[in-house]
Amino acid sequence: MFTRHVSRRLAAFIDGELPPPKARQAEVHLGRCALCQADREQIRFGMEILEHLPSVGAPEAIWASIEAACRESPSRKPPAAHRWRLAFAATLVLTLVGAAYWRVAHPFGVRWEVVRLAGSPAVDAKHIRGVGRIGAGEWIETDSVSRASVKVGQIGSVEIAPNTRVRVVTARAGEHRLALERGEIRARIYAPPRLFFVDIRSGTAVDLGCEYVLNTDEDGSGLLRVTKGWVSFQWKGRESLVPAGASCQTRALLGPGIPYFDDASETLKQALEHFSFEEGQSDALSIILGESRVRDTLTLWHLLSRAEVTDRERVYDRIAVLAPVPAGVSREQALKLDPETLRLWKEELAWTW
Amino acid sequence: MVSLSDREVSAEIIKSCRSGDREALRALYDLYKDRVYSISLYFFHCDQAAASDVTQQVFLKLMTRIGQFRGDAEFSTWLYRLVVNTCMDTARRRKSYVEISDRLVMEVFAGPGSPEEDYSRAQMASSVRAAVSALPPKFRIAVLLRYFEDLSYVQMAKALHCSMGTVASRLSRGHKILAERLRDWVGTKG
Repeated sequence: MFTRHVSRRLAAFIDGELPPPKARQAEVHLGRCALCQADREQIRFGMEILEHLPSVGAPEAIWASIEAACRESPSRKPPAAHRWRLAFAATLVLTLVGAAYWRVAHPFGVRWEVVRLAGSPAVDAKHIRGVGRIGAGEWIETDSVSRASVKVGQIGSVEIAPNTRVRVVTARAGEHRLALERGEIRARIYAPPRLFFVDIRSGTAVDLGCEYVLNTDEDGSGLLRVTKGWVSFQWKGRESLVPAGASCQTRALLGPGIPYFDDASETLKQALEHFSFEEGQSDALSIILGESRVRDTLTLWHLLSRAEVTDRERVYDRIAVLAPVPAGVSREQALKLDPETLRLWKEELAWTW
Repeated sequence: MVSLSDREVSAEIIKSCRSGDREALRALYDLYKDRVYSISLYFFHCDQAAASDVTQQVFLKLMTRIGQFRGDAEFSTWLYRLVVNTCMDTARRRKSYVEISDRLVMEVFAGPGSPEEDYSRAQMASSVRAAVSALPPKFRIAVLLRYFEDLSYVQMAKALHCSMGTVASRLSRGHKILAERLRDWVGTKG
């Protein structure tokens, strides 16, 4: 007599997790059923192939963000056994009373610590000698010999370079936002993504857990250079994703250009500047494609959606030569700029970035 | 300084955590962070931001809910139940935010070796990652839990809120789908 197929129990059979009677039953069935034998080999292979999935270390920034969240929300502290309900209720009441008081006493929210590093930086035109405070709506300004450091809530710090003018726009736990009018800042943020933003005239740098340097002139032309993690550089619905080791220029009225790795060839960088901000895109594109290495698929992936329709095929072909096109990415969908296809492709290419 | 070499956590550490001992919490975090992060990373298609977010949420929930852990189950089972819930909840929320999920980013994992040296290995790993990413979420989380944490079927059933039969079925089907998707690669290896 032929028993029922055992395909659905095969993982448990292979792992030795079936109870003895069921394991014997499966063994007998497997001795006779070629279909289940084939399934067993497939499942075994599916298990073995996972050895190619490496364990990845959690970034250090996660613990810092957990501590920051605990500091900002005392109710996250672990409750003592048997008293947690009472403690929670008390915390809730105190938080509500505290929040109401804070609203009245501090209409602009929290104020961040400012430390003088050199010269005499000023907060709202008042020079600070040692440590000062800055809140939403206030400006910090440095002259040619001054530098300062701003502690951004509990999530990181920003160093203000000489000849810089920057305003705190928002200083809340859920949104930390600066507006850089001119000069240069170096941001070090240890928080979950999208909690820290810097606006300049030609774009917004959105922190995705990173360290970076951003400079701009008063017109809005500038440069973003990322040293750790990722930054999303956005402007009018367009986005440039900039990983560590890469930079992205931006221009007034045009917004962020296409990101490139700092170790790319100078020829590629010059061609990219022409492509992003000047006339003669077709010639520049030929140079960019010719100069690209595997790692420069960062640049090419962004180019795909910014090149003229007629040039898109050239960009696709060059990426395909440099890195294998993953399953799930079709030429047709990629050339149509299908968002899901582009996302999938980016995720695969990013392993080489 | 608390240091743990055993994969299971002592009752003393749990007790210290309940009373708010930050060092004990840090020890727990150090013990589990890489496995929680790896599971989240591969669950969310190698999206580093999502994995960091989920890892943070899991340990914050751990801090606030450790009082509810009664000790009648293994700590790791309880913790991975938090991981499963957080991953599935986050995945459900992200479904309705296509614009955000289209902006997913990934950390640079490239090793120091040249691309030529690592090409074959990288291609293989890339195929496996893609195949795991393409699994339906319930199969994906089961496969990842089994692989990274080596939980027993009883523990997995508790973490996944389902029967052992369902665990066996999801693992069988998940691994079979993986094998089918990776068949081309096997063919080229001869």
